[in-house]
Amino acid sequence: MLTIQNLHVSVEGCPILQGLNLEVKAGEVHALMGPNGAGKSTLAAVLAGKEGYEITEGEVLFEGRDISELSPEERSHAGIFLAFQYPVEIPGVSMIQFLRAALNAHRAAKQQEPLDTAELMALLREKAALLKLDPAFLSRSVNEGFSGGERKRAEIFQMAVLEPKLCILDETDSGLDIDALKIVSDAVNALRSPTRAFLLITHYYRLLQYIRPDVVHILVEGRIMRSGGPELAVELEEKGYEALLSTA
Amino acid sequence: MEMLKSPALTLEEGAAHLTRLLQEQVALANLPPNLRVQWDKWVQEANLQTLFWEQRHKEDWKYTPMDFLRFPWDVGLARRVSPPFSIPSVLPYAEEVDGVEKDLPALRSLPVPSSPWEALLGGTSSAHHYYIRKEGSLIFSVRGEGGVVPYLLTLSLAPHSVGEVWLFPSTEALMLLRFHLHVGQGACLKLFFPSYANEAQGYLYTILSAHLEREASLETYDLSTSREWRRTEVKVYLKEAGAKVYLHGAAYVDSKTTWDQAIRVEHGAPHTESNQLFKSLVRAGGRSIFQGRIYVHRDAQKTNAYQSHKALLWEKNATAYSRPQLEIFADDVRCTHGVTTGFLQGEMLTYLRTRGIPLEDARKILASAFLAEVIEKVPYEILHTEMYKVISSCLSSPAELSR
Repeated sequence: MLTIQNLHVSVEGCPILQGLNLEVKAGEVHALMGPNGAGKSTLAAVLAGKEGYEITEGEVLFEGRDISELSPEERSHAGIFLAFQYPVEIPGVSMIQFLRAALNAHRAAKQQEPLDTAELMALLREKAALLKLDPAFLSRSVNEGFSGGERKRAEIFQMAVLEPKLCILDETDSGLDIDALKIVSDAVNALRSPTRAFLLITHYYRLLQYIRPDVVHILVEGRIMRSGGPELAVELEEKGYEALLSTA
Repeated sequence: MEMLKSPALTLEEGAAHLTRLLQEQVALANLPPNLRVQWDKWVQEANLQTLFWEQRHKEDWKYTPMDFLRFPWDVGLARRVSPPFSIPSVLPYAEEVDGVEKDLPALRSLPVPSSPWEALLGGTSSAHHYYIRKEGSLIFSVRGEGGVVPYLLTLSLAPHSVGEVWLFPSTEALMLLRFHLHVGQGACLKLFFPSYANEAQGYLYTILSAHLEREASLETYDLSTSREWRRTEVKVYLKEAGAKVYLHGAAYVDSKTTWDQAIRVEHGAPHTESNQLFKSLVRAGGRSIFQGRIYVHRDAQKTNAYQSHKALLWEKNATAYSRPQLEIFADDVRCTHGVTTGFLQGEMLTYLRTRGIPLEDARKILASAFLAEVIEKVPYEILHTEMYKVISSCLSSPAELSR
């Protein structure tokens, strides 16, 4: 599904990713771990098409198609979803308005008719229940006045509504208490399917206790230094980055 | 309209011409004899040329283009027209009364003119006076044609009455509207002032003053997507304890358009409350001006006053001037104000786009969302719908072509 080859990315002339290679197949869950400044969020931003990130070398293929020239909305229509580490507030736009616009844009890209209000509301209520969100939440402005945990749940709620093929979760576990982490993890696990892949960016092993990954990668200084099964995360938890990488 | 295409005078010549033109209309005003004498004197002393040499007038008009003075105006005609949409109000029509015969509260509280405009308009306009005893609505839907149309309206609300005002003035030339409200003890008034892009593209200058007695309340909603030059001066005097005023304004300011709000809220008694909430979205070549002043008298302890203006510059070469001012002479008050001016936040756009919303749609959503804080406070949904429709339609055109 996702193939990244020798990816080099700079931000304002400063190299961040320096020859990153990654292969994610449909149905797989990959965890990407690494110390602060390793380039984890840069990779997420590049995949989502955020501005300000310059690919200087290498390529990113999604379902065999080079996505480097696609706009963020085209990537979304193709099936890429980024759950933001710091979701922005959008005062004046309710979650209903926002997701109506997003869903109908996706449907328009597939030459489908827009959803009517009853269909939309039924879908939103069903997905809100998955995240144990109060239906009143749908009438609130996007992320405005949300707690950190509510914002992260709102991101996963949007993911559940849009049903992307590739879900990138950028430190979704940060700021979540244990109960919220369990709700979010249950929702992610419910969305796992043979046609969908996940890239979980995280600092903490505890998320991987709830969402069991197929592959764990250690990203350091813009390159993947080690990859392995779930046991790699356990080893990392025990030893830390420095000791783990010195024994590699 | 030909006159609009061929400005022929300097600003000072135009000011002299308009002064003379208005002074010649002096017999029009429908005022009681005692006021008539006083206003005749003020009219004859008024001179619009002082706008260019008296410092306080220069300050008031500092950011406002006054090109309308350069036309050799003649007197125009006022024509009653249908409102642009069906008014949702269910209140009966306010009673029109003869200002000469009745001792109207609004005529008693009509402020002494503080500018030559107020002097000229108070004494020379075609005047109509209305009274609401228990409940009533006033709908002013008038189109000015062929030249200058000066209008004086007054509305008096009896104690504990309820009223609504709907203002739809429009003009292809120059309309000068002077409107004074007297809101009696415990009375409530809502005023709606919507204008839309498909209306005439002339010059509309409104001076709205209000005098509020004990526990009276006034809410105003100024919604503008018009393409005219539009200056609105609002002067509210909270004369007695418990009086409250809430002023709202949301504007889509198109290219070559001026949207100008000059506001003065005067707290004259303790326990009075005011809130000014204004937002403007400005296209390239458009100009948004907000001058808001809160004045708290020495005796007006426990005043609660708030003022906010936010301008969103849609493109480069959009212009916004904001001048919030507080003058406080009491020591136990709560007065806050805030002003922001800026472009659309890139991270908001990115967020919407990563959810699949195309760039132009995302920009329109954020434009409506920016103004929504004000629009959603309007108690009638038809006004929301009309405003959002016009904004969405106007933003589909590039600024240079949107006029």
